[in-house]
Amino acid sequence: MAHAAQSLHPSQPLKPGHSAKRHTGLMDWITTVDHKKIAILYLWAGGLFFGIGGLEAILIRIQLIKPMNTFLDAQTFNELITMHGTTMIFLGVMPVIFALMNAVIPLQIGARDVAFPFLNSLGFWTFLFGGLLLNLSWVMGGAPDAGWTAYTPLSGKGYSSTHGVDFYTIGLQIAGLGTLIGGINFLATIITMRAPGMSFMRMPMFAWATFITSAIILFAFPAVTVGLVLLTFDRILDANFFNVAGGGNPVLWQHIFWIFGHPEVYILILPAFGIISEVIPTFSRKRLFGYSSMVFATILIAFLGFMVWAHHMFTTGLGPVANALFSVSTMLIAVPTGIKIFNWLFTMWGGQVRFTTPNLFAAGFIPTFTMGGVTGVMLASAPADFQFHDTYFVVAHFHYVIVGGLVLGLFAGLHYWWPKMFGRMLSEALGKWTFWTFIIGFHLTFFVQHFLGLMGMQRRVFTYLPNQQFDLLNLVSTVGAFLMGVGMIIFLVNIFLTSRRPADAPNDPWEDGRTLEWTIPSPPPEYNFKQTPLVRGLDAFWKEKMAGAKAMTPAEPVGSIHMPSATILPFMMSVGIFIAGLGFMFSRDEFNNSIMSFLFNNYIVTALGLLITFGSMLMRSLFDDHGWHIEPEELEGR
Amino acid sequence: MTTAHAEAEGGTLPHEPEKATLEGRNKVLAFWLFLGGEAVLFGTLFATFLALRNQTNEGPSAAELFHLPLVALATLLLLVSSLTSVFAIQAMHRGNIAQLRNWLLVTVLLGLGFLILEIYEFSVYIRHEEFGMTTSAFSSAFYTLVGFHGAHVAFGIMWIAVLIGQLMHKGLTVVTAPKIYVSAMYWHFIDVVWVFIFTVVYLLGKVG
Amino acid sequence: MTTKQPSSDSAVKHRHRPEGPQRHIVVFVFSVVLTLIAFAAVAAGGINATFAIILLLVMAVLQVFLQMGFWMHLKDKGHMLPIIFMLGGFFIAGTSIIMALYWVWWD
Repeated sequence: MAHAAQSLHPSQPLKPGHSAKRHTGLMDWITTVDHKKIAILYLWAGGLFFGIGGLEAILIRIQLIKPMNTFLDAQTFNELITMHGTTMIFLGVMPVIFALMNAVIPLQIGARDVAFPFLNSLGFWTFLFGGLLLNLSWVMGGAPDAGWTAYTPLSGKGYSSTHGVDFYTIGLQIAGLGTLIGGINFLATIITMRAPGMSFMRMPMFAWATFITSAIILFAFPAVTVGLVLLTFDRILDANFFNVAGGGNPVLWQHIFWIFGHPEVYILILPAFGIISEVIPTFSRKRLFGYSSMVFATILIAFLGFMVWAHHMFTTGLGPVANALFSVSTMLIAVPTGIKIFNWLFTMWGGQVRFTTPNLFAAGFIPTFTMGGVTGVMLASAPADFQFHDTYFVVAHFHYVIVGGLVLGLFAGLHYWWPKMFGRMLSEALGKWTFWTFIIGFHLTFFVQHFLGLMGMQRRVFTYLPNQQFDLLNLVSTVGAFLMGVGMIIFLVNIFLTSRRPADAPNDPWEDGRTLEWTIPSPPPEYNFKQTPLVRGLDAFWKEKMAGAKAMTPAEPVGSIHMPSATILPFMMSVGIFIAGLGFMFSRDEFNNSIMSFLFNNYIVTALGLLITFGSMLMRSLFDDHGWHIEPEELEGR
Repeated sequence: MTTAHAEAEGGTLPHEPEKATLEGRNKVLAFWLFLGGEAVLFGTLFATFLALRNQTNEGPSAAELFHLPLVALATLLLLVSSLTSVFAIQAMHRGNIAQLRNWLLVTVLLGLGFLILEIYEFSVYIRHEEFGMTTSAFSSAFYTLVGFHGAHVAFGIMWIAVLIGQLMHKGLTVVTAPKIYVSAMYWHFIDVVWVFIFTVVYLLGKVG
Repeated sequence: MTTKQPSSDSAVKHRHRPEGPQRHIVVFVFSVVLTLIAFAAVAAGGINATFAIILLLVMAVLQVFLQMGFWMHLKDKGHMLPIIFMLGGFFIAGTSIIMALYWVWWD
């Protein structure tokens, strides 16, 4: 926002710019509130968890490579599928989405930072510590084993007696808190921080997608917060929400989980839609076809996304009325999604299309995602779903939309914005190798799973008998999984090689950039815009280019820029909540050691953790952050 | 504090100091967004309660358990505290720090009274009615819904108390004003949730 | 929303006159009356259950409307986004409640 610098701070003495304490090295990363650095933190953390989830997938596929395989036992297999799903969705792809949002959104809307830099940092650290807590389960008595949906009674104490599911409930609770904070931050950022002239209907599609995604996060995550609290209370405090013997009802968990869970899949896919809507116009040298219908379709998908949750529960026995209702509402989603697919195609139609790596991923996304969408409509038919339910057909469907949709979208976005984030272009040759190995591997892995499902192979089985026509298709699927792994490795090699080259990417490395992020250096200075730009239309930069201008018209004179101070408090708050969660989880355990029993059974560890968290909150409240200023002379120097 | 007072009285603060800065406006807006999320949180808790309201597992039922005069008193305390927090914000808009502090204090004390009543109620249920967290699905849902609300009240009390301290220490500025305004929004929201709790949990529980 | 003129604050200050407490006391009285009706209807006993549910919910919703409109200033201008997001939250809350009432138990 143009006026952050001039905003009223009467309690604040006017200080020269250099009073801010600068951290370096690790301390810099732990204390940063700069959205561009937080984006990188999200990317590395997300990449780490994505790697863990990917290894879990490879282990699953090795176990299923042949019938009656003994590579893994059933319990380990259950833990692996649970952790694969949970890790990939909550800790793998969501942080990478947040990485791109953090890296791009403030730049795209012409802002110097997000609305709440402190909360931005807090959101990251709570996510990270939640994810670490969840993954600690591997070394602390066993991972959760009830599937990523944690259906009761499987996830109840009776069937899952280790602490695995506790790690799931409490880990996801903490990570979910971070996501909710991030969502609110992006909503406020997009509402209030847009550059002068950028009305809502002049926002880039990725900004729209982020806005709508954040709104879904806001309304969906509180539901899972409650669901996880109920399950935690059932397991640790012996409550009876889902315990039939005490009057509870397991179906209630399914409802609450999916009231969150279905919007969650739109939280995943809408950002991908946004990325594709940026990449395709850029590399077609055409404005996005049907911009306003794209906006409308995004809003409609978000709304309908909350109205369809029970299609995951057709076989639960909700009755014909509910099943019919949810069938119809689910099929309705095909309409706005179809609008999007055709808009992308019409954008490319007649454009000067360049198949750079990002555009290859975007072009690969369209047919692949459409296949996932079509099987979605098949699954939406309740009578047919009775056949498909809990088979590999469902597994194929959701991997087509999540990997073939979201992950291809993320690859497109990462290759597209990598020079903006790091100042270095990824190798185009290696990028194309990544694309071809990954997408061929993907279709090998999951296309055959449609047929496995139709032939009757159930999902989540740890092995199968020979001579059911499953053998060959499972082998093909496993080979495909390894090929996807090769694609990932090529991507990592590309990142590594690129990081050793000089950071020489120009402002507009793709040369056809349309939006504001391409008007500033790569990577941008910490204040992003020396002068807030004046936006004169959709695709603000392209409009200036067409008018013959080389740069944006500034909306303000060069002036002193107010920056938020770095702080360690978000990190401390997250450490505290991590300790509190761990303490609560073990509060009813029996320890051989009397000191441990004393600390855990009296909730002392929990209290200590909460004390750190609330103490840090208090510090934040008591000591005002006046921030610091970058003066015009410094700006000229750079 | 005297300087802050002079600042407010002298009119250097705008009429709505909570909206004077971008930071302040962001804070108010984001808090509204947060309350939208809170509505879903409590909505899901209400849904859980409604689904399990008749699952008494041979334990006490709502009609047997609830004692309306106590609930009415708690309701009155919270309702009055919501009014006093309106008065606090009005005093803030007039720039009158002393009145602002007093109304916030009254709000906190009324909230404390509500919390004590709730703790008393829970302890009676647990000790005399054999109605604990583990008794039935109904009891679990009751304690979780009403307890979540109680936890919100407790957090609000601590929050506003801290803000009173800051008000006395730092005065009324464009930094403290948004905090106070937002805490008042929170307090009103707690009262709104309580309106649904006394209606859905207690009164409709009595009706059966 | 995207622009803030330094002069606008002082303009606001001159236009606004600090409002008195009367209106809020009226809202308070209405809230007390609505609450009293609800409690009295139940305390009197013998009330038809369906009628009670409708009456009590209407009383609650009215009271919430009053408090959110006046005490939380949602009726004032410049509150379109808060209203949209609160309605969104209430809407999702409503769908969960419909779920709980109709789709959890088998008859």
